[in-house]
Amino acid sequence: MFDEKIYRRFNHTVAACFVIYFLFPQKIMGLERIYLVILLWIIILGIEYLRLNKNLNLFGMRDYESDRVAGFVWFASGTFIILGFYEMGAFPQSLAVATIIMAAYTDPVIGEVNHKLGDRWGLGIGFVCSFAIYQLIVGVIFYSVLGGLIAVLVERPKLKWFDDDLAMQILPISILSILWLSGIGPDLPETIIESGL
Amino acid sequence: MKITEFYIYAMYLVVIITSMLFIVKDYYIIGSLLILGNLVPGYAMANSLMGNNEN
Repeated sequence: MFDEKIYRRFNHTVAACFVIYFLFPQKIMGLERIYLVILLWIIILGIEYLRLNKNLNLFGMRDYESDRVAGFVWFASGTFIILGFYEMGAFPQSLAVATIIMAAYTDPVIGEVNHKLGDRWGLGIGFVCSFAIYQLIVGVIFYSVLGGLIAVLVERPKLKWFDDDLAMQILPISILSILWLSGIGPDLPETIIESGL
Repeated sequence: MKITEFYIYAMYLVVIITSMLFIVKDYYIIGSLLILGNLVPGYAMANSLMGNNEN
């Protein structure tokens, strides 16, 4: 039997690879690339439907997830919402890339640090982690500090119908994008990845 | 359990291919982030996988 906790952490960090979407050509087999995301979302929702109805047994699920939507569905939903809004022009690409990678790494980092050093350290190191990712990708201190703060603050409340895997993506990118679009926040590099493999 | 093992190997493949694609396209920061972020959990997962296979 594998270690379930390690398996969950690895699943979480691998989710950062969703950013490969930005390398895809705009059209795949004549269809807009966003349809690929919708298809994947339907598959994930189908798997979750089977799991919740006890027709499918997935390894690595937490006990409390037996009768509620699992973390992987929340995370995928958050990422797919980001990609959808990016295609509509609501979110700049740089923030979308940074937020997806940040959420994939920061949540397990906070979980591990909380477990080993305590909650305060979890908040602090979680902030450093998310700040560093925003700074490396977006490169604007204003967005890095704010994005890092929002990410660690929304990770804390544990709500049944609004998981932190979703909140850690949607809230930081929404607030940062509103600040950027309204002109309150400083300018940022809008596109950092050119599409086309 | 075989399916889970296969899925884990697929995850390694996804990380390697995605990060290599970013590096080949000169997006070094994103490629490196994908490798570095998955290094520790990937290593721990490999240890767990090997322990499981030995049993």
